[in-house]
Amino acid sequence: MVNFCRLTLGGEQETLHANKYQVVTNNPMVADAFGERCRVVFLEYGSDRDVIETVRDLVHQHHRVLTAPLAGSVKPWETPYRSVMVSTSKGSAIDTTSLELVEFALQIISQSRERLEPTKPSIDRDFQIIDLSLIESALPSVEAIGRV
Amino acid sequence: MSKFKVVHYINQFFGQVGGEEMAHIPAEKRKGPAGPGLAFTKQFKDEAEIVATIVCGDSWFNENLEVATKTVLDMVREESPDLFIAGPAFNAGRYGVACGTICDAVKTELGIPVLTGMYVENPGADMFRTKVLIISTANNAGGMRKAVPAMAKLALKLVKGERIGASVEDGYIPDGVRRNFFDKKRGSTRALEMLLKKIAGKPFETEYPMPTFDRVPPMPAIVDMTKANIAIVTSGGIVPKGNPDRIESSSASKYGSYNIEGVDDLTSETFETAHGGHDPVYANEDADRVIPVDVLRQYEKEGKIGKLHDWFYSTTGNGTAVASAKKYAAEIAEKLHSYEVDAVILTST
Amino acid sequence: MKLEVGYIDIKGIRFGDYNAVEDGILIVNPEPLLEPVLEDPLIKSAHFEIATPGESIRITPVKDVIEPRVKVEGSGGVFPGMISKVNTVGSGKTHVLRGMAVVTAGPIVGFQEGIIDMTGVGADYTPFSKLHNLVLVMEPVDNFKQHEYEAAARLAGLRTAVAIGELARDLVPDETVIYETPTVAETFKEEWKHLPRVGYVMMLQSQGLLHDTYVYGVDAKRTLSTMISATEVMDGAIVSGNCVSACDKNTTYHHQNNPVIHDLLAVHGKKINFVGTIITNENVYLDDKIRSSDWTSKMASYLSLDAAIISQEGFGNPDTDLIMNCTKLEKQGIKTVIITDEYAGQDGKSQSLADADELANAVVTGGNANEVVILPPLDRVIGTLDYVDTVAGGHAGSLRPDGSIEAELQIITGATNEMGFNRMSAR
Repeated sequence: MVNFCRLTLGGEQETLHANKYQVVTNNPMVADAFGERCRVVFLEYGSDRDVIETVRDLVHQHHRVLTAPLAGSVKPWETPYRSVMVSTSKGSAIDTTSLELVEFALQIISQSRERLEPTKPSIDRDFQIIDLSLIESALPSVEAIGRV
Repeated sequence: MSKFKVVHYINQFFGQVGGEEMAHIPAEKRKGPAGPGLAFTKQFKDEAEIVATIVCGDSWFNENLEVATKTVLDMVREESPDLFIAGPAFNAGRYGVACGTICDAVKTELGIPVLTGMYVENPGADMFRTKVLIISTANNAGGMRKAVPAMAKLALKLVKGERIGASVEDGYIPDGVRRNFFDKKRGSTRALEMLLKKIAGKPFETEYPMPTFDRVPPMPAIVDMTKANIAIVTSGGIVPKGNPDRIESSSASKYGSYNIEGVDDLTSETFETAHGGHDPVYANEDADRVIPVDVLRQYEKEGKIGKLHDWFYSTTGNGTAVASAKKYAAEIAEKLHSYEVDAVILTST
Repeated sequence: MKLEVGYIDIKGIRFGDYNAVEDGILIVNPEPLLEPVLEDPLIKSAHFEIATPGESIRITPVKDVIEPRVKVEGSGGVFPGMISKVNTVGSGKTHVLRGMAVVTAGPIVGFQEGIIDMTGVGADYTPFSKLHNLVLVMEPVDNFKQHEYEAAARLAGLRTAVAIGELARDLVPDETVIYETPTVAETFKEEWKHLPRVGYVMMLQSQGLLHDTYVYGVDAKRTLSTMISATEVMDGAIVSGNCVSACDKNTTYHHQNNPVIHDLLAVHGKKINFVGTIITNENVYLDDKIRSSDWTSKMASYLSLDAAIISQEGFGNPDTDLIMNCTKLEKQGIKTVIITDEYAGQDGKSQSLADADELANAVVTGGNANEVVILPPLDRVIGTLDYVDTVAGGHAGSLRPDGSIEAELQIITGATNEMGFNRMSAR
């Protein structure tokens, strides 16, 4: 069973999940791979900006960003895919580090906006693989601790 | 090959009309080069020539900004030059602002390359560095010998449409555009040399100045709003009708303090905006839209706040230099302190 | 540690029916060299090509650049834990074939990048245009897994470099340089007391597929910040597994010839007391970033550093690691200079870094990677131009009908290196 909720922009379904992290992504490969592990906020038709903005909204609800919003050296104007791991638990106040990170990421994305070109299906798949690998690289670290 | 035609702008002092006592003279056009223009002519060799020199009083230009800009612009247009240069203004503030203003106007209106020169701390440099190229000069006319060749060299590059080098190569004040260049030494060696200077406490120059964020730690929250004395400070340019202090529509050189004791509502008869950077219609119709005096008075009556401070403070934020804004803020803060104001509502447009 | 490095200058490469270095010329017989490469079931085909400085040649997509070296005396072998046994390197004697490199080229992913032009404008931006390059062009089998093939291509390059390096074992070097790094106790000796204690913080890209670096064969993302001797680095203790961000990835060649290390060693005992090198990773997970930068600063204070140079790799979130490393050192009173590069947009007007702090007041930049460059058409392409439109820094239409390429500098291998390998800067 794949345990993610498909979101259309603007609407959100809450699913309870015992896991300590959730993943916000617009990458179907990540949605598939993480669907059984944790809650996945899958923005199927969302852009990289939509992903980061969704993360920002979670940060304003006191969730903490767990992975770098601009992971990898594949530049924002090349890859359409972004995946970010966010804490399931909420802090008592907004996490300023998380907020700074997402705001900086949004700035970088916005200054490169117009350069994103649609890519061939084969390359699209490769972008998905790289994005998946980047977020997977955080797993040993996030699994290692009890709570985040 | 024919020479590139250049028009040169200088002030009354460099035009040898006189000093401060002659700063009121309006712009006049002379044929050929004058003053520093003679030095430029030498540097230009056979490639370019100054066909006309515009001499203008600093006070006249700055006090009649719009008219002066138009007058000078027309004089330049008549010559249909290939290039326009102004100054160098060194550390003369009004001269620098004039050079920046007219260069910006010529560049925008006539679409020809422009260049000026000034000392990095000239207020004109801060205002125009991202709009027009400004060669970095010494702070006084003693720097003319160095400034002219640097200006002439970059001016020729501009008029020929050649690639501009990085600021350190071509000697202009950083204009906010990052440009690559090949340094003499490799990066690691530059890093080591920078580190040695930093360790020794000597001045060093970073290759990339970090964007600065002027962060102010927030004050503790007001415990009891019903006793708080609240003031309004705005950069939205709200002033009593008629703008008694003549606060400029842009690049404000001052701020105003206005009494609103007993005023419950700002109306189109009593208040207006001096701001030139936005459509003033809605602010002029009802200035409460920029500074909410009406609502605060109501809160005061309902006891939600202790008091609305008797004065509000206003300037126009439009094009006003950060350094000026800081100065006004410091003065306003002192006044607020002396009146024991507890909190301030800051509005802008 | 004390390492004697013997440099043998290579003045040319040619094919022949045996493998040897004769009078500064590398003679290559491809067959025996390709045999171990082709043993890997993931590599469908492989062949060598030669690119000489000044020739009208474009190499792309470039994966790695490797300098052939051989351990002549002392423990271990080059690329320990990866090719040679894992034993500690950095002592004894090493021979280097200077002036040449093994370049690995060929596709791994669809947006693979990296161009080395041997002549023209592009050649000015990459240090590798000045080398005699033996290019190993490989092609994967169909339906390969990217991470497996990356490893195969990485190992093929390293193996080839080792085999070439082996040819230098018995040669007499053109130049010999002795590099020596002190123990901690030695750094406190009387005659160096007056010198500032300077360290080097080397950041390693470690985020996942095509973004990895290996230290003695260990994936750097699973490491805590640690210390390494400058001479170990020269013996290939650090190996690049990084295939993205051509302009600011550190190739294996960059590691072997780390310019910060060489510049610090050159003034060690004279202007500074070069106490040691700290390596630290750049992970995706934020707590890893915090932990690694904490450990870097702990180690810097443990070594009683007065100052440090910090070098970066990659773009984007590594800026966060960079700023963390920098500010944590500065807050302990350790003065820093950071080496980075910029993504200020094609117009040069955008924010250059993805993070910033006013404590980072001493920055050396490798230049704006977004600056557009037009590379002229060249006569010969080694590899394939199929990827030029989709590589980082390229865009649809990058490759123009006449064979010229309009692209951002980031397409060029090593163009804005963040170890400070190049002269390029920006203002």
